[in-house]
Amino acid sequence: MEWKFSNWKLGAEYFWNEFTLNYLMATYSKTQVSILNGIVMGGGAGASIHGRFRVATENSVWLFYLHNVIVVCRLLLAPYVFIRDIFFKVFAMPETALGLFPDVGASYYLSRLPGFFGEYVGLTGARLDGAEMVACGLATHFMPSERLTSLEEALHKVDSGDSMVVSAIIEEFSLLPTLKEKSAYHRVRNLMDFDGLRLLFTAEFLFFKSLLLCRLDIIDRCFSSRTIEEILSALESEADKSKDDWLSLTIQALKKASPTSLKISLRSIREGRLQGVGQCLVRDYRMVCSVMRGKVSKDFFEWEPSRLDLITDSMADSYFSKLDDDNWRDLKLPARSNLPVHAIAKL
Amino acid sequence: MESSPSAERVRFRTQVLARHLHQHVPSQSQSQSLRPSTCLSYSPPELSEPFDFDTRDMRKLMDGHNLEDRDWLFGLMVQSNLFCPKERGGKVFVTPDYNQTMEQQREMTMKRIGYLSDRGVFQGWLTKTGPAAELRKFAFLEVMGIFDHSLSVKLGVHFFLWGGAIQFFGTKRHHEKWLRDTENYVIKGCFAMTELGHGSNVRGIETVTTYDSNTEEFIINTPCESAQKYWIGGAANHATHTIVFSQLNMSGNSQGVHAFIAQIRDTDGNICPNIRVADCGHKIGLNGVDNGRIWFDNVRVPRENLLNSVADVSPDGQYLSAIKNPDQRFAAFLAPLTSGRVTIAVSSIYTSKIGLAIAIRYALSRRAFSLAPNGPEVLLLDYPSHQRRLLPLLAKTYAMSFAANYLKMLYVRRTPETNKTIHIVSSAFKASLTWHNMRTLQECREACGGQGLKTENLVGHLKSEFDVQSTFEGDNNVLMQQVSKALLAEFVAAKKKNKPFGGLGLEHMNKACPVIPSQLTSSTLRSVHFQTDIFCLRERDLLHRFAAKVSQHQVQGGSKEYAFIVSYQLAEDLGKAFSDRAILQTFIEAEETLSAGPLKNILGLLRTTYALITMEEDAAFLRYGFLSRENAAAVRKEVAKLCSELRPHALALVSSFGIPDAFLSPIAFNWVAANSWSSVQD
Repeated sequence: MEWKFSNWKLGAEYFWNEFTLNYLMATYSKTQVSILNGIVMGGGAGASIHGRFRVATENSVWLFYLHNVIVVCRLLLAPYVFIRDIFFKVFAMPETALGLFPDVGASYYLSRLPGFFGEYVGLTGARLDGAEMVACGLATHFMPSERLTSLEEALHKVDSGDSMVVSAIIEEFSLLPTLKEKSAYHRVRNLMDFDGLRLLFTAEFLFFKSLLLCRLDIIDRCFSSRTIEEILSALESEADKSKDDWLSLTIQALKKASPTSLKISLRSIREGRLQGVGQCLVRDYRMVCSVMRGKVSKDFFEWEPSRLDLITDSMADSYFSKLDDDNWRDLKLPARSNLPVHAIAKL
Repeated sequence: MESSPSAERVRFRTQVLARHLHQHVPSQSQSQSLRPSTCLSYSPPELSEPFDFDTRDMRKLMDGHNLEDRDWLFGLMVQSNLFCPKERGGKVFVTPDYNQTMEQQREMTMKRIGYLSDRGVFQGWLTKTGPAAELRKFAFLEVMGIFDHSLSVKLGVHFFLWGGAIQFFGTKRHHEKWLRDTENYVIKGCFAMTELGHGSNVRGIETVTTYDSNTEEFIINTPCESAQKYWIGGAANHATHTIVFSQLNMSGNSQGVHAFIAQIRDTDGNICPNIRVADCGHKIGLNGVDNGRIWFDNVRVPRENLLNSVADVSPDGQYLSAIKNPDQRFAAFLAPLTSGRVTIAVSSIYTSKIGLAIAIRYALSRRAFSLAPNGPEVLLLDYPSHQRRLLPLLAKTYAMSFAANYLKMLYVRRTPETNKTIHIVSSAFKASLTWHNMRTLQECREACGGQGLKTENLVGHLKSEFDVQSTFEGDNNVLMQQVSKALLAEFVAAKKKNKPFGGLGLEHMNKACPVIPSQLTSSTLRSVHFQTDIFCLRERDLLHRFAAKVSQHQVQGGSKEYAFIVSYQLAEDLGKAFSDRAILQTFIEAEETLSAGPLKNILGLLRTTYALITMEEDAAFLRYGFLSRENAAAVRKEVAKLCSELRPHALALVSSFGIPDAFLSPIAFNWVAANSWSSVQD
């Protein structure tokens, strides 16, 4: 962590390589299958989300903001890339306590989730389970973790990079996950119920579904607001009307988070919605270097600036501009020519 | 055909068909000898076109204000199905479905407005004042106009015309009653000024209003068919209320044109008694706007519905106004309503940006013909002729973008003293910029070849959507005549009072007449000094000529009005000269705010291109001898050089326009994939 204050350039080099890898994955023609059998966040999210297939399990948990994590992943390069057991060691620290922002191209994929769910996930650091990840599009498939070994075997056996073939195999093992009552997308009260179909037409399911839709509706209404301040006040007026404690949790999450982080994250997602994945990574690189250099905000042990209204537009602006440092350069992504359409549009 | 084909042939055909049906893509491992032919493939221009400056900084300069607000609104549109997102060639595009019927398009416009209203886009549009609120409103209107002209026109009618009339012509009682409800779309307003028989000549309208002091009501009438209100946006389907422009006849005396509020539909959408409404029908564009016609048959409205900022009628029927002269009253009345011309000028430039971004991106990915047999085909934009077609238009668009920003700032910081300047500059810029837009779109459409014809590729279709800008809110030709008239008035006033020129950028008239070098070198041609000099010389000389011509006619006994009419050729040249000079000045001022660097360099190149192409294209420079034949040739030669110097920056320049990819069109990106067989089957 010390690099933040002393040698931020070492960090810059790391992120240069990481974001370049993200870009290669995002524009990779080969079929990539990522197994999200655990906590997905930071670098791990970046390593999986840009690939074609993302398989969630009952162990999947989507987290945000943490970067200082140990990533163990195994890359099998041909004919498909297979990343499994993305394993993290999580520090005992709430994710909003870091004052970072969703990087690794997150502004690209979060902004492309339905409605304004991406803003919700990115800003609140909401944890999503496997079912929720499938529901919102962060994951493409869901299966119980006990089937993973068989899946891997089947994929090895067919030995094909054809996305149709791979897709068919994954589908064979997949099932429809059930979204839980508390979800919207929050949270697993009971253990996952793998028999997705059991609840499908019951009154219980319909109740959950309407609750879910209701929350998604609130997310759309509130998180589509122009500024963080407006998002907060929209959530507060919703909270006045309803007893749902999910709303107060959401408000708390935003209030606990770094004000600078919230401002630049929202802006990044909004810009990312209109840009290609390459542009998003270039912006992420500028932002991550600015954050590491810590000239504008000193967020680390406490929030500085401490309130949203203390952050001026030009302060926020500086995170999106080139760094005024002679040795610093904009992220230069490798040229990817003759890309098939499926290599670009993965979300 | 053989009667009994061999088994092998059958097998071969079956395989071909099977592959065809399953959309089988041969994998690399299948056969080394079977390689895809060197078919044309799309290569993103970003791979081969390095950027010399930060497009983010350039965009700040172009958009000028409220960038985050703009991105938010673009995002709101992209995230909603109401804006018809469609995937083409791996990218999502949003564009209205112009293949819908007129009725469907109108309903979609209204639904989109409802969605944006729910998201708070229009908050403060009428209830907040001051430059910041106005700039935010302008930025949003520009963004919505980038999606669809119908959408921005429909909003323009409701907020700027109906809402603006209440703000500017009305007083407190109107503001309190109408503004909040308008902002929240509780009511829907329209603006009934134009009639079948009278468009630009508002003073001549025939609708008549009288006053009944017994009931304290005004009575509005359409006395003849030519008095029917025409082209009233919103009138055909949605509007509940309208501003009615009418002659006010007080006990036999005409007091000139006044504006009243009248309800035309109830809350359920039924047309009110004594109102007749008809549709204007299908149009060449803007079919998302329900233009209609209105007849008034003794429609009674309360006395309070007179918008009384300039004149009022007392309950007992006394006409009260501080301004005695009806002509002056009319001028004072309409003066604040220049926002329409401002927004049209700005919107037309954004449309040119869309057209150029598409055509230039296409020209950077499409090839045609080779220089040598079997040689690679040449990129369209590598042909000097193609550069000459598009890049000067790009330079002009940059110049006019600065002009549009200047006009916007002039408007939002308006004071009573700047009203005249705003009127003249907005007239000139509205005409110049909208004409430029139509020309640009036509060139862009041709530059895209057949692809330009496809509605989904936008460049061609935008022509019909934006054509209306040349005539609504003031016919361009009439506006330009007004500019020349106003300049002449300034000239006459300065001469009469023997006072120096001040304002409208005419200060150069006080200095000695600039001298143009007899031989123009490349470096002279590129200097701000020379460019300013020759643009000022042209304006100055034409103003003198115009003044002389008009006074000559007057000396011969013609009226002033007649003298104007017959001097139309000079008036036209002068209007253009004023506008071009004013645009150049805004460009130079924008450049001056920058410190030395790549951004400033490229802007210098664009400014020179703008100046020189104007000199090359406008025959006035040669006609009146501002350029000798030799110098005109030097200008032409320099233009070609400038085009080749701009060529490497073309992509960066169109990438700085701040128009998200989703609002461009498929030919601007991977047009091979967008047209692939697999895309047909989705």
